[in-house]
Amino acid sequence: MKRIEVKLSLPVVAPLLDLMKASSDVLQAQIAAPLTLEDIDADFRDEWRAELLAGQQEELSALMGLFDSDFFVNAVVAFDEDNAEIIVRACSALRLRLRRHDLRRLNDEQLESGGIDVDTLPERLRKPFMCYLFLATIQELIIQHLDAAILQGGSDESAQDEDSGEDEDDDGDDDDADDLDGKEGA
Amino acid sequence: MRFDNARSGIAPEEVAETNTALALSGSWKVVVLNDPVNSMSYVVLVFRKVFGFEENKARIHMLEVHEKGRSVVWAGLREKAELYAFTLQQWHLTAVLESDEAH
Repeated sequence: MKRIEVKLSLPVVAPLLDLMKASSDVLQAQIAAPLTLEDIDADFRDEWRAELLAGQQEELSALMGLFDSDFFVNAVVAFDEDNAEIIVRACSALRLRLRRHDLRRLNDEQLESGGIDVDTLPERLRKPFMCYLFLATIQELIIQHLDAAILQGGSDESAQDEDSGEDEDDDGDDDDADDLDGKEGA
Repeated sequence: MRFDNARSGIAPEEVAETNTALALSGSWKVVVLNDPVNSMSYVVLVFRKVFGFEENKARIHMLEVHEKGRSVVWAGLREKAELYAFTLQQWHLTAVLESDEAH
């Protein structure tokens, strides 16, 4: 099993954990990404929302679980095929929350360009921004080293099949006629 | 032309059921909307994972989301489209369903 261990700087990461915990607590009751479910039947919508929330809670629990008492001893977090997917999703949820709440005063262009100098930020934005970057770094590490494990995992197999639907490719090419064929478990 | 249920011999309940069936069987699009948070590599990973796209194709859709604000990533039956939208939302992407008839 492929496994990566990352040694973190305690003085840098420890101060971020309170904010991560606070954001995680909010996301126990709130979906991180905006939902547009107007078209969905009301009963089904509630079920849908509840299931998304339960999944999100599980993800956040896994992420926050990395920073247990052992972490404060050795400052190491480990990722493998068992936790890669759930951690990468949890990072996404937390980053969305930070963006919509703590970092709402920054504009999209600034955030997307990556050109923000932390030292130039107002004090109150520094920790959220560091946290935002830290979570992105975890995501990138996992995607870089464990993407194969995520792609081979089976949690989304239910969404893929071989016969229904067609891919809608706005570029008009025909390179995707078999997009869903033979990709189960991809 | 006005459809006359009485003359057609079709009961209203049957018409309602037929309309529902048509709504479910018509073509629906799964549209991913841009967000300024999720990274390009993350979105590519999600497209590969959820739809089984090859990397290049996933990248094309990701760039379309990034540059145009949206990309139609799948189209087909309503039930399946809902499942894809749900799965994308599990990955914290913003996904909506659109009926082909709406555009």
